[in-house]
Amino acid sequence: MSQVLRGHAEQLYAQELEELKKQDSGKVPANWKLTPQSAVTYLVGGKLKNGFEVTPKYIGSRRLMEIAVATLTTDRALLLYGLPGTAKSWVSEHLAAAISGDSTMIIQGTAGTSEESIRYGWNYARLLAEGPSENAIVETPVMRAMKDGKIVRIEELTRIGADVQDTLITILSEKMLPIPELNKEVQAIRGFNVIATANNRDKGVNDLSSALKRRFNTVILPVPDTIEEEIDIVKRRVESFEKVMEVPAEAPALHEIRRIVTILRELRNGVTLDGKTKLKVPSGTLSTAEAISVVNSGLSMAGYFGDGRLTAEDMAAGIIGAVIKDPVQDKIVWLEYLETVVKTREDWKDIYRACRNMM
Amino acid sequence: MVHTLGIRHHGPGSARNVKAFLEATKPDIVLVEGPPEADAILQWSNHTELKPPVAILIYQSDNLQHSVFYPFAEFSPEWQAIQYAYEHHIPVRFMDMPVAHVFALRQEETVHEHQENPVGWLAEAAGYTNTDKWWEQMFEHRTGNEQVFEAVSEAMHTVREMAPPDKDPNEPLREAWMRKIIRQAQKEMYTEIAVICGAWHVPALTTMPSQKEDNDLLKGLPKVKTECTWIPWTYDRLSFYSGYGAGIHSPGWYEHIWQFPHDDGTQWMAKVARLFREKQMDTSVAHIIEAVRLAQSLAALRERHRPGLEELNEATLSVLCNGESVLMKLIHDELIVSNKIGGVPFDIPKPPLQADIERLQKKLRLPTTADWKDYVLDLRKENDLERSIFLHRLQLLDLNWAEKVDVSGKGTFKEQWRLQWDPAFIIDIIDKGVWGNTVETAAAAYVKHMATSASSLQVLCTLLENALPAELPQAAAVLIQQVSNLSAATGDVIQLMEVIPPLVSISRYGNVRKTDAELVTDIAVGMITRICISLPGACTGIADEAAQTLLQLFLQMNNTVNILQQPDITSQWQQTLHKIAASNSTSPILAGYSTRLLADYKLFSSEQLVQAFYSAMSAAILPNIAAAWLEGFLKGSGTLLLIDADLWRVVNDWVHQLDENNFIQVLPLLRRTFAGFSTPERRKLGEKVKHGDSKTPTSQPENIIADERAAKGLPVIMQLLGYKNTDV
Repeated sequence: MSQVLRGHAEQLYAQELEELKKQDSGKVPANWKLTPQSAVTYLVGGKLKNGFEVTPKYIGSRRLMEIAVATLTTDRALLLYGLPGTAKSWVSEHLAAAISGDSTMIIQGTAGTSEESIRYGWNYARLLAEGPSENAIVETPVMRAMKDGKIVRIEELTRIGADVQDTLITILSEKMLPIPELNKEVQAIRGFNVIATANNRDKGVNDLSSALKRRFNTVILPVPDTIEEEIDIVKRRVESFEKVMEVPAEAPALHEIRRIVTILRELRNGVTLDGKTKLKVPSGTLSTAEAISVVNSGLSMAGYFGDGRLTAEDMAAGIIGAVIKDPVQDKIVWLEYLETVVKTREDWKDIYRACRNMM
Repeated sequence: MVHTLGIRHHGPGSARNVKAFLEATKPDIVLVEGPPEADAILQWSNHTELKPPVAILIYQSDNLQHSVFYPFAEFSPEWQAIQYAYEHHIPVRFMDMPVAHVFALRQEETVHEHQENPVGWLAEAAGYTNTDKWWEQMFEHRTGNEQVFEAVSEAMHTVREMAPPDKDPNEPLREAWMRKIIRQAQKEMYTEIAVICGAWHVPALTTMPSQKEDNDLLKGLPKVKTECTWIPWTYDRLSFYSGYGAGIHSPGWYEHIWQFPHDDGTQWMAKVARLFREKQMDTSVAHIIEAVRLAQSLAALRERHRPGLEELNEATLSVLCNGESVLMKLIHDELIVSNKIGGVPFDIPKPPLQADIERLQKKLRLPTTADWKDYVLDLRKENDLERSIFLHRLQLLDLNWAEKVDVSGKGTFKEQWRLQWDPAFIIDIIDKGVWGNTVETAAAAYVKHMATSASSLQVLCTLLENALPAELPQAAAVLIQQVSNLSAATGDVIQLMEVIPPLVSISRYGNVRKTDAELVTDIAVGMITRICISLPGACTGIADEAAQTLLQLFLQMNNTVNILQQPDITSQWQQTLHKIAASNSTSPILAGYSTRLLADYKLFSSEQLVQAFYSAMSAAILPNIAAAWLEGFLKGSGTLLLIDADLWRVVNDWVHQLDENNFIQVLPLLRRTFAGFSTPERRKLGEKVKHGDSKTPTSQPENIIADERAAKGLPVIMQLLGYKNTDV
């Protein structure tokens, strides 16, 4: 086992990528590792001709992944948009891994992201000693990706200030990065493209200018359609967590996962699954990602503090933490849900008791 | 030689292939899947005014519940085949089982559930989840058409071998009939016979069983009498399941690929962009370029040779709509389905009522549209008045083409209508044809029929309200007679009171429409008399809830009487109120209200009023009864209490004279009554009590009129009164 806490997608799934590459027969775009078809297969999973099973990375609409991959074959950049926890970053990482074989070119967008971290910066010691020269330039992931013809990822694009966002326009439309200080430029090699992610829930984000918006094709990643799909996602992610974290707990029973997903889903949609009872909706997003982390933390609790079996007690804290983001409003919502829905369900007594004890 | 061309109904690719095939093989007769009854009206199909989408309507003459539509779009293979035949002067015949038999058989048995589409298996085998998509990709979007019909035939042979026998008992009959028509054509010595039918039937028509077998099958089929005609159709309706079973979901798109078979997405995206710009959404040329590129890469990714609607939609969503699917609804409605409506020649044989409606539509310039359109009519204009009469008559005939909407602004001379045509109205029109040959006679006869069969006054009055603006004097006379009869017979005074307000509003405002309101007024007066007689009895011994409803009717009645302004009616009404107010057995809330109304008419001197008030509120009366009386007395009159000094004084003095114990007792009653007033009213009442009588609004300031300033307004007033340019 490697010492790294979490490997890159291209390391974790190296074998799958290798097999896909071997099976590839179509035309591979310049500097891509796989054909577009294989890239889609890598994302949504499937069986190869030689019987090799590719695990699905994104569970949901295949069409969305096709649009995403097709976009990257054109000269438009890709913007993945959606609620927090709808696998935007996950998809972008795997897209980069499948297409460029390298998901490490990444810029995390924050309110403090400056132009230097998108275009290039200067090594000031060198700058003072040698004057402006190529050696004194500090490359950013964008610049490196342009030179290598790879995919660069920009996380949380809308958190970056509007003026800084707009530095991307030249890069996206002219595919070049001017360096006026040296009277030079970096021209992007084929295979370069940008995948940006942004979420549409947060307040106070910087909307994209229409000039920049025009350079992106937008794919909105939805919350899972059906509860089965959502359970599947949680199950797979929890399994991979166990593998990486080496938690000494048993794999959780499907019905435990189902209960967690049901709770979060009902609260998110504001109605019980049977459609009979209306519910208040808490302020958090309660995405699939939260369900995953609830099960994961429950597993750790069970493994290290319990008898290794995932019980309602182990998960109660996680659920409460996921639901109650606002100590006043959400608490009312949660208590109502506990009393009106959870309490009435025959086989949910243990969860009800565990949650009541915690409150 | 018989060429059997398996097609998909309304498939543009099939249409193109059929056209190309016919032009290449030059058959001497064309047989098309369709109802043989319509052979006679096929001659119209190359009329210049017959513009698809149109449909053949076949209905059972004596039972309009049984009707069927066979729609054709320009891109329907059947339509192209018929067009080819007429252009090349060769005979064309329909070859399906006559609808006359289908209807007759349908009467005998129940509806069969539809079995799953066997073509779906082929699609599934090819890795498609959607049958339509597979078919489109395989057969419709193909530009080269060599041997496509052979391929279809082969595929269908295989599927039908595997498929379980069809549960629909009509299927074998239909196919036997098709074979019969083919044999007949062969007998008539036609050599090159082109047969255009749904792909599913191809195997049954290429391998012919013996003639005797088919004849036995078709022997003694029951039959009913049918009629058929051409009617305009809409793209929206093409998506319905009728006649040719399969509905299509994207007629607008099909028309597009029929017109531009080689479009790589550019022309479609240009249409989308134009639509967006019309709707004030910025769409640049660059957007279109990017969208087409994305659609093409998507098609390449899915290993299709050309972007289909799916790819184009996804590209539109991603590039033009920024991922938001709201705008896709617009594209779906305007482009993918599109609200195109067809047309049929004016002189096509059709039921007389329909012909009359079309004549009037043309004359009054009210065209039929698939999308809704609003008309504001000014009834003072001749044409608009005629339109209004026409629309009212159609409404009476239960044809829901036009819907009257509330018009904003004052005046009874304006009407607003929303018109939206649905081809299915034709069937309603034919249905109503039994009542008369013109809109006027049919509407009148239908209303008379409704009038004689109606049993409730309310229904009758609503009918009357609608019949008067439709200018049907005869029908109105029958209705009025009927209303009068029923109102004499009815013992239900409440029912009478309910219909009085609409009746009076007809008689009061009828003059804008030039209708004779005299008759109605007479009836209304007669009814009010009847009400006045039986009302006091109706007010005694009733429950609280009933009293509340009656109270509302009192309010309406009183308004109505005031509107009528006929002295004898008014005095009748006032006498009735006296009776009600004086009677001890009247429900207290109504007695209170009657007293108030009488006070409003100033029929009580202030002493009488005080007396009536005190006696009703005296300590001997049970509190709940007193409360109800007070509630009725002060009903809705918070403002009145503020302004009417007499009323104020009565209530105020009464409260004053109560001692503490009594006051505490009546306090809940007062609270209950006053709770019904609005907040500002209550606040003002409170202020008035606080400041006492000295500052009541009744104490008017001295009359100081600024004569000079008032004189300045005089010329305008004179002008308004019609005295022009006269010196004051």
